[in-house]
Amino acid sequence: MPLLLKTIAKRLLTTVALLWGVTVVTFLLVSVVPGDPAAANLSQQAYDDPEIREAFRQKWGLDQPLIVQYGQYLWNILHGDLGVSQQTNRPVLEDLSRYIPATIEIAIPAMVIAIIVAVALGILSAMRKGSALDNGIRVLSLTGLSTPPFWLALVALYVFFYIFGWVPNGGRLSNMYDPPPTITGMYTIDALAAGQITVFWDAVWHLALPVGILAVLTISGLLRFVRSSMLEVLDSDYIRAAIAKGLPRRIVTWRHVFKAGLLPVLTVSALTMASLMGGAVLVEQVLSWPGLGQYAYKSALGLDLQAILGVTLFVAIVYTGINLIVDVLYTVIDPRIGAK
Amino acid sequence: MKKANHSKLAVVASLAIVPLVLSACAASPDTSNGGGSQTLTVDNSFVLKTLDPGFVYEQTGATIVHVLYDTLVTFDGSDVSEVKPSLAESFEASDDAKEFTFTLRDDVTFADGSALDSEDVVFSLNRLKNLKGSASQIVSGMSFSASDEDTVVVTSDVTNPDVPTILAQPSTGILNSEVAAENGATDAEDAATADSIGTYLDTNSLGSGPYTISSYDPSSKVVLTANPDYWGEAPGYDRVVLQNVDVQNQKLTIAKSSGDEVALDLSGALSADLPDTVQISGVPDTSYFLSLNQDPAVSELTSNRAFVNALRASIDNAGIAKLFGPDATAASGVVPPAFSGALDPSDAPKQDIEAAKKLLADAGISNPSASLVYPAITYRGVDLGTIVTKVQADAKEAGIAIELTPQPINVFLDGQAAGQNEIGFSPNSLNYPVAASLVNNMAPGASTSLRNGWTLERADASAIDASEAVIAATTPEERVSAMQEWQRVMNEVSPFIPMANNSGIVVATENLDGAVYSPAGWTIDLADISSK
Repeated sequence: MPLLLKTIAKRLLTTVALLWGVTVVTFLLVSVVPGDPAAANLSQQAYDDPEIREAFRQKWGLDQPLIVQYGQYLWNILHGDLGVSQQTNRPVLEDLSRYIPATIEIAIPAMVIAIIVAVALGILSAMRKGSALDNGIRVLSLTGLSTPPFWLALVALYVFFYIFGWVPNGGRLSNMYDPPPTITGMYTIDALAAGQITVFWDAVWHLALPVGILAVLTISGLLRFVRSSMLEVLDSDYIRAAIAKGLPRRIVTWRHVFKAGLLPVLTVSALTMASLMGGAVLVEQVLSWPGLGQYAYKSALGLDLQAILGVTLFVAIVYTGINLIVDVLYTVIDPRIGAK
Repeated sequence: MKKANHSKLAVVASLAIVPLVLSACAASPDTSNGGGSQTLTVDNSFVLKTLDPGFVYEQTGATIVHVLYDTLVTFDGSDVSEVKPSLAESFEASDDAKEFTFTLRDDVTFADGSALDSEDVVFSLNRLKNLKGSASQIVSGMSFSASDEDTVVVTSDVTNPDVPTILAQPSTGILNSEVAAENGATDAEDAATADSIGTYLDTNSLGSGPYTISSYDPSSKVVLTANPDYWGEAPGYDRVVLQNVDVQNQKLTIAKSSGDEVALDLSGALSADLPDTVQISGVPDTSYFLSLNQDPAVSELTSNRAFVNALRASIDNAGIAKLFGPDATAASGVVPPAFSGALDPSDAPKQDIEAAKKLLADAGISNPSASLVYPAITYRGVDLGTIVTKVQADAKEAGIAIELTPQPINVFLDGQAAGQNEIGFSPNSLNYPVAASLVNNMAPGASTSLRNGWTLERADASAIDASEAVIAATTPEERVSAMQEWQRVMNEVSPFIPMANNSGIVVATENLDGAVYSPAGWTIDLADISSK
């Protein structure tokens, strides 16, 4: 079997085992976490009425032994059913299909911007190590890293919406527009597909603030990593040897340093992307962005077990999926890694 | 060589900036969010699970359901002292306040044009009762029947002059029974398991109200459209957009808005520095009190009445009210001023540290120390931690040590339900806008009391008598008087220490009429709002 296929098969098996492990651990954790879903979801008087409380437990299967509940949960997952949310009364899968596209719509542009800016600044900073430019970039990066996301979101909203009026006050579309017909759930793409150009631009306009904030937050961490990765490569023997041999610095930088230095950056970028897909709870909250972070937050507050399990499983799938892709890319870039 | 590198970097950097610039320069529609004078925008931090009247209990859902589904009776604006006709043009109560006969209007149609009759009313109310959700509890002990097409009889197992008030709640909204049944709804006794209408009512309004659902996205936006065939007065706006907006964002938005906009969550200090260009309406309708556990097995200290009264005397109610913002009042009793039966705010007890010290000394209590458990949340713009810190400081003046124990809301609710909290603290709103509903919860042996170990056996006879007097009252007037006496007794012998009442608030742009806060259970009547 070719090395690439062998790697993919091996990783897929590990991924399935890992996801099963995630279902066991999250189910157990959710079950032992303090708090009674009935108390969280019923009014006090309704909770104190034994008949109503029992009806709630029966409806959501909470009266069954834990092992039966888990068995049912796993059986449902295998049949593509993530259960029904206590908070929304809708299938969790349906809820996820509503929230995930909103998160993707801000996560991908934010990540693309972050990677481009972070790589550019990181390389520049490494190449000019110790210069005023390097110090300036590092200070900016540290400032970004130590800024609380919700605070940045609030300040950005205040400045760009309240003071300048350049961006809207949150949400995905202005009130005069109805969402475009759902194809992907991403308003920009769906609006284009439906030929609704005005709605498309309005959706883009609403992306500006959340994408900008997430990009700034992501750039800070990423560029530090790019810089240190580049410095490590620059300090290696083979680069010193290449420079000593008189190879032009441009060739050394772009052919050797760039390629070798970006390999670890790929991993970090992938994990950062997975983290963004898990939802930027506080940013989404401040900007009223109906993404996965908000869904997870509300589910946790309401002890909405099926929704919590659904979100966790989705995030686990994203992480393992992205890891799988990175592993494959590693094998493509450097077959020696795959052979290990 | 360096120049070449810089050029590449410049290209890379430009690529990064282009999307941002494109985003910022994209078409910038009108920021007022209005989109025209016929659209009203309502900013609300969504607490929304469903638009099914049988299950609706949360604030956002109740506000929407109120304008989708008519009820037998209703309230006008912020006045909840008297019910007004709605689907029922009149009603009569029996002398013992156990049987209520409602006569329906004969000109009401549902949004699909079909006529509303008593069968629809009986179906909807029976369904609410049998679904066994949070809202079902308000009609427990009631039964419903129709004596003819236009007459509905509601019977209560016990004397209950508040039945009409209960039947004004959004959860008692009347559904088109035929269409509801076609889509899986049932009013049978097993409705809790047999009802299968699911989420159909989230996107289809089967009511006779002034609005119908245009679109429903519980994560971000609900759009309502005026019902063109509404039997009553047409609403002021053709279209209402309720959007899910964080409270801090609401403040910026309403301050910047040019018109046709309302914010529903700016209570407390959040509304203090809003510009003069907005109008604010509010009524103190939420009470904040401490609950001291009366079960000696949980706490010997808090079950000692001398300690309860010493803590009561040590607390500065007026000072605590200030922490809630300009519309809050010091509490005289457990009934907030929005409701009939509240004690005069000027009767609020004053802090008396010496009296507190004397009570402790006379009871032989030295160096008392207790744990105060509270949910670590911000409610109506006020961090509850701020309030309990003031309680801690007040108590310390009297020599009482209070250990503050913040908990995640779910953990708090669990501990509260299990009756394990030594001293508990949380906001309290009424189930329906009548003060006597508090007696159902806070009388000795009632649900809230039992959560604090205040059983009939542990209660003073005067508290039991006062509670029974409220329940025995057969007219609203008698109940008001009995409620006031009940609170005076409770202030002497109950384990509850009322501290302050906070207002619910509606903030609206200056061009609006009728944008008033209502403590009736629906925050604001969207159909009452019009442009000046």
